[in-house]
Amino acid sequence: MTATPDRPPAVDLHDVRKIYGTGPDPVAALDGVSLRIDPGEYVAITGTSGSGKSTLMHLVGCLDTPTSGRVTVAGEDISAAGPDRLARLRNRSIGFVFQAFNLLPRLDVQRNIELPLVYAGVSSAERRQRAAAAAAQVNLTDRLTHRPSQLSGGQCQRVAVARALVNDPALILADEPTGNLDSTNGADVLRLLGSLHAAGRTIVLVTHDPAVAARAARIVELRDGRIIKDAKT
Amino acid sequence: MSWLSGLLIGLQEIREHKFRSFLTMLGVILGVASLLAMFALTAGIASGWRDTMQQLGGLERVGISDKQVSLEFADLAALSPGRTLADAEALRGIPHLVSHVSPDMQVGATLSAADGETVSARVTGTWPDNFTVSQHEMAAGRFLTDLDLERGARVVVLGDAKVAELWPDEYGTDADFLGRTITINGRPFAVVGVLARYEREQDRRRREAVARGEQAPARLAMGGRGPGRGRRNMFSWKNESAIIPLTTLYHEFRSGEPDSPPLTMAKLDSLNFRVRNLDRFDETLAEVQNILRGTRRGVDDYDFDTREDWFERMETSLRSTQISGGLIAGISLLVGGIGIANIMLASIAQRVRELGVRLAVGAQRRDIFLQILAESTVIGVIGGLLGLGASVLLLELLGRLAPLENPPVIETSAVLISVGFASAVGVLSGLYPAWRASRLDPIAALRYE
Repeated sequence: MTATPDRPPAVDLHDVRKIYGTGPDPVAALDGVSLRIDPGEYVAITGTSGSGKSTLMHLVGCLDTPTSGRVTVAGEDISAAGPDRLARLRNRSIGFVFQAFNLLPRLDVQRNIELPLVYAGVSSAERRQRAAAAAAQVNLTDRLTHRPSQLSGGQCQRVAVARALVNDPALILADEPTGNLDSTNGADVLRLLGSLHAAGRTIVLVTHDPAVAARAARIVELRDGRIIKDAKT
Repeated sequence: MSWLSGLLIGLQEIREHKFRSFLTMLGVILGVASLLAMFALTAGIASGWRDTMQQLGGLERVGISDKQVSLEFADLAALSPGRTLADAEALRGIPHLVSHVSPDMQVGATLSAADGETVSARVTGTWPDNFTVSQHEMAAGRFLTDLDLERGARVVVLGDAKVAELWPDEYGTDADFLGRTITINGRPFAVVGVLARYEREQDRRRREAVARGEQAPARLAMGGRGPGRGRRNMFSWKNESAIIPLTTLYHEFRSGEPDSPPLTMAKLDSLNFRVRNLDRFDETLAEVQNILRGTRRGVDDYDFDTREDWFERMETSLRSTQISGGLIAGISLLVGGIGIANIMLASIAQRVRELGVRLAVGAQRRDIFLQILAESTVIGVIGGLLGLGASVLLLELLGRLAPLENPPVIETSAVLISVGFASAVGVLSGLYPAWRASRLDPIAALRYE
C-alpha cells in the first residue's frame, strides 16, 4: 500500500535511538530505526525477545520518547513531549489492545469501553452512545452490564478492542493480543482485527509468533535494535 | 476529567471496600467524635456557668465594699460617713450609666407564723431595685414597690426556703401563702410575694424526676460529694431571704437605738448597683468613683466588687480545657490522617495496573492526582460525618451513665469546625499518595504484576 500524498503517515520514525541506562555500559534497545506506517496499513512488528520490538511499540504508542531521532504520530512530533502531552496524544490517536486485556475489574463492560472518552472530556450521554456503537462492532451488545470477571478471555479481548476503537484513533496498537487466548479465541480476535483493517483502520500488531504476524499485510522484523526485514506478505 | 468524576470513582472505591474504608475512617471518626464531645461538654459547662452567674446578678452587678484606709490617710478616715444611703441616692443621679441601685440593711430576726413554725432569719431591708440587681423571680405575688418604701409598709417577700421552714406541712401543696401574716421580731408583716426557687438546672431536673415518681438518676460516683453542703449554698442566700422595705427595716428595727442617725446617714450593710451598658463598664465605674469621692469627702475607703475577674478566670479555665481537649482530639485526627495516607499508599500499590491502564488510555497526571485526592477527601468527609453521629451517641451514653453537671451543648460552629477539620485531614493526607500516583510511569505500571 502506498501513501497518499495529502494524508500524513500514521507513524513516522526517523533514525530513532533508544538507549537504556547511563554510565560505562548503556544498552541500545533501538539503534537507528526508521519506519513509516501509512493510514490504513496492517503492520506486524515481530522479533525475538530482546529484539527491541517492545521499545518500538512504546514509542509508536506514545508511552515513551526516544533518546535521539524523531518520532511523529498522527502528524505530531513527540520526540520531546512531556508526560501530559503524551497522555493527550495516546487518548486521541492510539487504541491499545494488550496481551493481558487490562480491563478494570470493578467497572462493567460499558464503563470499560467508555474509559478513554472519560479522559477526552466527552459528556456521559455521548459516551454511552459511542460505547454502545463500539460494542456493536465487536458483537458484545448483550454484555454491556457484565463485569470482566463474568466474561471469557475472548470476550474480554473483544471488550479491549472496543475500548481501543471508541475514540476513533489514528491507529490501533495490539501487543500480543492472542498471547493469553486459546487458539479458537485467538483466531477470533485476529479475525476481528482483520475485519477492522478491511474497514480502513490502521493496525499495528506486535508479536513474536510468525503465524500471527502472517495475518498482517506487512511484516517488520527486528533484531538487536535494528530492522532486519520489512516486507509485504 | 473533572472533580466530580474523580469523586464518583472515589465513592465507588469506598463502596467496593466497605470494611477497609471503615477501618481507614476510624481514626477520623474517633478524632471528630472526641473533638465534638469536648466542644459540647465545655460549651455545656460554659452555659451552666453563665446561667449561674446570671442568677447571681450577672456581669452587670457591681458591689461597693469597704476598704481599709491606708495609714497615711488614717486621720482622715473619720471624715467619711462610710457606706450610707446617701451613696445610693447619689448613684441614682446617673441613670444613663447605672440602671438600678440596691442599698441593703440586714437584721437578724425571729420569724413566726401563727399557723406555722417559728424560725430565725436574716431580714433584708432594701429598695425595689433589688429585684433586678439580685435577678429575682417571683413564684407568686409581687416584689416591693416604691409605695411600700415610701410608706414604710409592713410587707415581706419570702424566699422559697423560708416558706418551707415556716409552713413545712403546707409547703409543696397548692396552699396560697400570699396575704398571710407573720411576725418579725414580734411585729406583724403581710406576705405579699414568694420568690422562685433558685437551683441549678440539673438539680431542678433531678427534683422533677423524683416528683414524677421516677428513680433519681445515679449521681456521678467520682468526687463523692453528697447532695447539698457547699453545692446548694450558691443560691441559698437567695432562697433564704426575707425582704422588706428599707425604710420599714430602719424605722421598725434600727432607729430605736440611742443617737441613731437619720436614715440617709445610716450605715448600709451592702450596696450593689447594676451597670446599664456593659460596653461602658469602665466609664461607669469611673463616674461612680467620682460620685463616691463627693459623698465620702475624698476618703478612699471603698472598693468595687465586680464579677469581671471571676468571669475572666472562668473563660481562661474553659479555654485551657478546650486547648488540651483539642490537642488530644487533634492528635487523634492526625493519627487518622496518617492512617488514611497509609491506606491510600497501599491501595495505590494494589492498583498500579489499573492506574497504568488509565494512563495508557489518556489520563493525565492531574486526572490521577484528582482521583486519589478525591478518594481520600471522601474518606475524610464521610469519617467526619460518622464522627458527628458517634459524638451524639457518645454524649447520649455519657448522659445516661452519669448525668452531667451541665448538659452538653452541640454548637453549629463546633460541628462545622470538626467536620471541616476532618475534611481537611482527608485532603492533606491524600496529597502525598496522589502525588506519588500521578508520577507513575505508564510503561512500568502496565508491566506491574
